[in-house]
Amino acid sequence: MFQRVEALIRITVVTSLPYCLDCNKEPLQVGTKHDIQIRALETGERLPTLCSRETIPAPICLNRDGLTRAVKEMNSQLQRQGSATAVQGTGYTSDQGSPRLRRVTSSRPDQNGPQFNWRPASAAQEDAGQEAAVPPKDLRALPMPMALKRAISQVQQMQVPVLSSFQSWKRSKAKSLSRARKSIGGFLHYITLWRRSLNKIGGNFGDGVQSYFLFLRFLVVLNFLSSMLIIGFVLIPSIVFRSVASDSVTMPDNGTAECRQYDPKPDPLVRYYSYFLDLLSGTGFMEYTYLFYGYYRNTMVAESDFSYNIPLAYLFTAVFYFAFCLICITARAGTAVRVAVATGGGATGSYSRIVFTGWDFGCLGDTATKLKQKNLHYQLQVDLEEERIKNEAASLTLRRKVLLYSSRIFLSLVAFGLIIAAFFGIYRATTFSQSKVKETGVLGLFYEYLPSIVITVGNFVVPVLCDQIALLERYNPSITVIVALLRSVFLRMVSLGVLLFTLWSQITCFEGVSEECALCHYNHKSYPCWETRVGQEMYKLTLFDLLITLAMLVLVEFPRRMVVDNSSNKLIQFVGRQEFLVPVNVLGLVYGQTVVWTGALFCPLLPLINTLKFVIVFYAKKITLFSNCRPAAKTFRSTKSKVFFLLVLLFGWSLALVALIYSIAEIHPSMSCGPFRSLTSMWTIVPDSFHSLSLTTQGFLYFIGSQRFSIPLFLFFSVVMCYFIALASVYGKSVDLLKAQLKLEGRDKQFLVKQIEELSRTLAVAR
Amino acid sequence: MGATASHLGKDLLSEYQELTFLTKQEILLAHKRFTELLSREDKNLPDPRAPTEAILTLPELKSNPFRERIVRVFSTSESRDGLTFEDFLDLLSAFSDSATLEIKSHYAFRIFDFDDDGTLDEHDLEKLVNCLTGETGDTRLTPDEMKQLISNILEESDIDKDGTVNLSEFQHVISRSPDFVSSFKIVL
Repeated sequence: MFQRVEALIRITVVTSLPYCLDCNKEPLQVGTKHDIQIRALETGERLPTLCSRETIPAPICLNRDGLTRAVKEMNSQLQRQGSATAVQGTGYTSDQGSPRLRRVTSSRPDQNGPQFNWRPASAAQEDAGQEAAVPPKDLRALPMPMALKRAISQVQQMQVPVLSSFQSWKRSKAKSLSRARKSIGGFLHYITLWRRSLNKIGGNFGDGVQSYFLFLRFLVVLNFLSSMLIIGFVLIPSIVFRSVASDSVTMPDNGTAECRQYDPKPDPLVRYYSYFLDLLSGTGFMEYTYLFYGYYRNTMVAESDFSYNIPLAYLFTAVFYFAFCLICITARAGTAVRVAVATGGGATGSYSRIVFTGWDFGCLGDTATKLKQKNLHYQLQVDLEEERIKNEAASLTLRRKVLLYSSRIFLSLVAFGLIIAAFFGIYRATTFSQSKVKETGVLGLFYEYLPSIVITVGNFVVPVLCDQIALLERYNPSITVIVALLRSVFLRMVSLGVLLFTLWSQITCFEGVSEECALCHYNHKSYPCWETRVGQEMYKLTLFDLLITLAMLVLVEFPRRMVVDNSSNKLIQFVGRQEFLVPVNVLGLVYGQTVVWTGALFCPLLPLINTLKFVIVFYAKKITLFSNCRPAAKTFRSTKSKVFFLLVLLFGWSLALVALIYSIAEIHPSMSCGPFRSLTSMWTIVPDSFHSLSLTTQGFLYFIGSQRFSIPLFLFFSVVMCYFIALASVYGKSVDLLKAQLKLEGRDKQFLVKQIEELSRTLAVAR
Repeated sequence: MGATASHLGKDLLSEYQELTFLTKQEILLAHKRFTELLSREDKNLPDPRAPTEAILTLPELKSNPFRERIVRVFSTSESRDGLTFEDFLDLLSAFSDSATLEIKSHYAFRIFDFDDDGTLDEHDLEKLVNCLTGETGDTRLTPDEMKQLISNILEESDIDKDGTVNLSEFQHVISRSPDFVSSFKIVL
């Protein structure tokens, strides 16, 4: 029984290696990588065999130590036969058993175990002990058939290892933890949103398109969780305490009565369609609701054992919402960024990478497979072509180089000028729209939506022109795509920034000394409650984005599909069906999310609205994908990379953060509405409520903020960072050293193989 | 084996969960799909083996250019033809979401090794590239392009310069590619 166990253990060790297995002819049969023969050590009894009779290749499969031993062995044979042509060994020492070569009949008869690198057969005894210490979870990661894995697990269970009680407790805890993790994984698998749809999309259109939908799903979950946060901490307490408490802070009366005038109650006698217009623009009956900032009161409930400060909660919820989004985004980007940094961007090895990792095994159906094949073919051709172009470009004359670079600079300036022109258009449209705020009816709606319309038109026209310009600049294809994308990102984000800047300049009169702003520190005549106005702008932008998406679907994509399918005109067939462009769609999502982040402080329910909007967008895009689109024939790695999407999202987040910080710290809140109406800035609520904390807490917080704490902390973090940088550089150096060593070993191997061939010829001659 | 073709015992199910990367639902679904592939006589055998032709009718494998290699690699029979249920589970485990990079790269290497000699030489690479780009005339690479591509691949990945790519060199290339784990996936 014990011998059986030993034999099984030997097999384990042997078969966990790739290839390089060399069995003797008799009694073991020649085996291949995972086929082995189980044979008990002592009795020689044969257990069922899984061997096949394939042969294995020449001594190349042995490592360098094996080869040197082979050379020594052959030398000693030659010397025994008295040949004078024995070649000196290479002087490597070895303490392991003799190797086996198929061409040389070795004089060692009974070396049962096949030779391998890291567990010599003679050390089987230690193996028995060591194998028992392999933790159970490693079984799954062994590349063996199920029967062998089962045998090993049975061996492990039979071997009762001598563990201390602490180790056995640790083992049982690890087992229950893994069981719990498995059940959680099963539960998550069950509730994962849209799993089946995403698989179908990925199988039919490739993982570039699938990455867009995965990103969309991430944004839906993020918005949902943050809206739960806001509802839980701001909305529900406001609803509860509205009926309980009243405004608890009286305003100082120093001539600012005019600033406190704000009457948003809608005119009861309105036409019926004005409700619809109000829904779209957030004015009228929607203005004085929980949707916008102006409805919240500055209630501060302070009972005996419970106190709730609504302004403080509002501020902290907004700040925590931003922090929560940042944590989620960096957590999601974490793995991918780590890999990208560790592999140094992966510029080298692109051919092997495409060939070895290019195939997507999740492709379903013949059309998807053919498409993937065409895609790979195109990628390989493009790479080979780029290499040819690079070789050519390296040999360009100086004059042509100067021409090329000057044309590139000129075209970049042209693109930049186009973008600046778009910004100026947005600025003019916003000022015009704000000046026409008193119009009613459809014309009034048009004026309200003018900034959104101009932004959307700019976002359509300018990227198309930038694409054409990028083509003229004659970079190689992947750089062209990246350059065009970066320009689009810049355009979209900064146009939002221009809108915000325009609004700010109108609200605060350029921080100037204009007499409109002198009284209340903001333009109270045009903006009695300016936060609500900003919230309404963001609400309108969000809604307009959704309407445009749905309108494009109905008015452009479906008709295009019908025209292409039913007409046989050559030109139309050449243009073809719509292609699902991933980068453009991702930028649309990032833009929408940035708008929501900017507006969340002024329109607390905006994340909830955005969740619904993104759910509608998911289904709309899925419908258009399957009905109207043809899969892209050309995709580039960078455009589907997760890291790229998350980096652009982070850029939008930082833009919104700037707006948030400025709103909280600098601009005077409206005196007529909102939870901060009695304060000079939103941030002052924090120092004010600070003094209501207990003395120990105050002392602790003072200490944390003081220099005595922060400077040592900063020094500590600098030291930690230096350590990691040094570690990274050392690892890089050792990787290079190991590569060089591998090259040397390869050359040694070839030298030794040549020697073996010579010696075997000499041996054969000498016999 | 203890598993009739219609019902998996509970302890067998938990054993499969221990030995593979699949969850309980995935194992049960795999069992259902596997028994659909068996012919009526085979269903009553204690350890049925589904023939290769039946396995290749699965929609997940039907149009995969590597389908025959996959079945060959995971088959434990003498003639490398047909998969038992446990072979099928091994296949799904290696291609599952939670499998490690090492096991995926190990099996990918064996699938790409068309002549089963333990290394990827030029002929293996040529066959691999032809599978990737399709066998039809307009998507094949020209012989010049093929030669240039193969020499580029060997230059990049063959570290010890022996003219072939062995398992460690293959795993080295794979470890630098972040997409591999998500593309080497088959989900029922």
